[in-house]
Amino acid sequence: MDPKPSMTFIDKPVIPGDVILDVSAMMDQTIKLGGGLQQDHDTITVIKAGILRFSEPNKYWIESSHKRFIPTVGDTVLGIVVDKRADSFFVDIKGPMVAFLPVLAFEGGTRRNIPKYEVGALIYARIVNANTGMNPELSCMDASGKAAEFGLLKDGYMFESSTGLSRMLLSSPTCPVLEGLGKKLAFEIAVGLNGRVWVNAEHPSSIILVANAIMNSESLTPVQQKIMVERLLDRVN
Amino acid sequence: MEQRLGNTWRMTVNEKKFIESALESELRVDGRRPFDYRTLTIKFAREDGSSEVQLGQTHVMSFVTSQLVQPYRDRPNEGTLSVFTEFSPMADPSFEAGRPSESAVELGRIIDRGLRESRAVDTESLCVVSGKWVWSIRLDLHILDNGGNLVDAANIAALAALLTFRRPECTLGGDDGQEVILHPPEVREPLPLIIHHLPIAVTFAFIGEELMVIDPTHHEEAVMGGRMSVTLNANGDVCAIQKAGGHGVMQGVVMQCLRIASVKAGDITSKIKTVVESYKTERALRMVKRHAPSNAVDVNEPDQKAKQILEGQKLKSEECSVSQSDDMDVEQDRINKRSKKNRSFTGGPSSWDPYSEGVNTDELEATLASRGSVAVPMNLDNLGDNIRDETKSDEPLSDVNPVSSSTDTAGKEMSISREKTLQDAVKPKNKREKKKSSKIAAV
Repeated sequence: MDPKPSMTFIDKPVIPGDVILDVSAMMDQTIKLGGGLQQDHDTITVIKAGILRFSEPNKYWIESSHKRFIPTVGDTVLGIVVDKRADSFFVDIKGPMVAFLPVLAFEGGTRRNIPKYEVGALIYARIVNANTGMNPELSCMDASGKAAEFGLLKDGYMFESSTGLSRMLLSSPTCPVLEGLGKKLAFEIAVGLNGRVWVNAEHPSSIILVANAIMNSESLTPVQQKIMVERLLDRVN
Repeated sequence: MEQRLGNTWRMTVNEKKFIESALESELRVDGRRPFDYRTLTIKFAREDGSSEVQLGQTHVMSFVTSQLVQPYRDRPNEGTLSVFTEFSPMADPSFEAGRPSESAVELGRIIDRGLRESRAVDTESLCVVSGKWVWSIRLDLHILDNGGNLVDAANIAALAALLTFRRPECTLGGDDGQEVILHPPEVREPLPLIIHHLPIAVTFAFIGEELMVIDPTHHEEAVMGGRMSVTLNANGDVCAIQKAGGHGVMQGVVMQCLRIASVKAGDITSKIKTVVESYKTERALRMVKRHAPSNAVDVNEPDQKAKQILEGQKLKSEECSVSQSDDMDVEQDRINKRSKKNRSFTGGPSSWDPYSEGVNTDELEATLASRGSVAVPMNLDNLGDNIRDETKSDEPLSDVNPVSSSTDTAGKEMSISREKTLQDAVKPKNKREKKKSSKIAAV
């Protein structure tokens, strides 16, 4: 059997039920599965329509664009605090269930210094635990226990888009919209993989401009995005 | 409970603060200024009386249907207009299926009030038999996507649907002249509603202390302290005002809102009118196409006599329509004349009877067969009524005339007169059957 049968599927659209990999032929190696894939005994099956992606040496996942979000371990998300309990915050991450953010999951977090987040606060966090049938768990620390940009986002403006747009904004090299806007304007941006984007700048007008440019770029090709941003900036200046 | 927490849309503190602070410098999150409307798109479906309106993200579908019902006892001469709203859970997670929510009822009421209490739709023209049969017009509004300002979007959708709606034509017949005959659209052109003016709803949202915006989005609606919907027409007549709870509004502000709203109402009215006009032209063109095959059948039959009769008929119908605006005495006079004309007209088709040698019966039957399963309303017993129907039947056709003649000139007249030949060809059959039946009775 071909050592890498899945190669035929990589970067191609797949639909639920497609078998992309036979694990029995590759007993000696480890593979890592991302969102949209599932192991069925000796085979790896697709459970979500989208494009199959592969990253050296062994990561496989499915990419698609949704308005809802299926939590996957390691995703960084923007969440809204919904409720507060003694041991954790309930955070809405656009998923099928609210996520838990334990009050101790902060850098140097102890029972003494629990953060005071009000209901409706916007939080940048990382998913550390996501199993079916269980509420996902968030953390405001990176893998090494540092705060690393995670935590409360003050001011600015948050808007919702699709997961595909978020991925485009996070891709490298930097997507043309952000590159074009960044050359002329100074702004801060936080992108959650759950399709939420937060923008902050000094003037409200630049926030509105950046937010609308990003929202409009969803269905545009890179070249169109560049032209759109140039036109926008010409009109403003 | 957790499931519900996960399903509802909620807003962050950041957004709320930003919407307010940006508005202080006269900016809105979608790039509009405080008194700008979002882009408005109106689309129509293939059948009459249905429209789809998009106002920014808000998406509303509307359709109008009609039914013959008994009138209310206190208003025996008036048809009815009722508004129904349907909030689909697909439009917004906060909408629940089943029982209409408070906002659904409010929306229906605002539109109902704007249309009905300002008497925008002429209900008296919907009466068929006083106290017995009137048309009941039902307006259904479906919210497909909630992007804020449902009232304005739904109101525009309602108007667009009402303007393009056509009810089937009906006439009285039967033994006692009280029987209602409905004519299918293939036989007689359906009639549009009579709409006197267009009441346009314009919604204002009050945010913070004294900030005011027009056409609020979903996000602005979540932040606003109060809302006011003003319904007025292009002439500036205020038809309804809805101000439910929330922020108190100063009298001066209300007057300012009314002034802004009258400008916006003018803009929206002209937009609706141009769209409806283009729909009507398209519809008229479609009609011409639809009749093409039946014309082809009739071309084989150059019946000069019938054409002459039809032309005379057309003149008569014009005269009749003129007489409607005259005084009562004159009207009486006209009626006498008209009855005379009817008599002379009765002579027309009888000389053009299929049993006389003028027309080939087989060919006639072929034309009838070519119409397929179209149900032709037959009134076998009352001939006089039939003829009266016939004179009336010219009205919708002469209605079509200006539209088609504006688009094309040559050959149109011909095709229309040929259309009539076909219609007349149906009538003598009634007579024939009547003759037969009387013969049978005689035997």
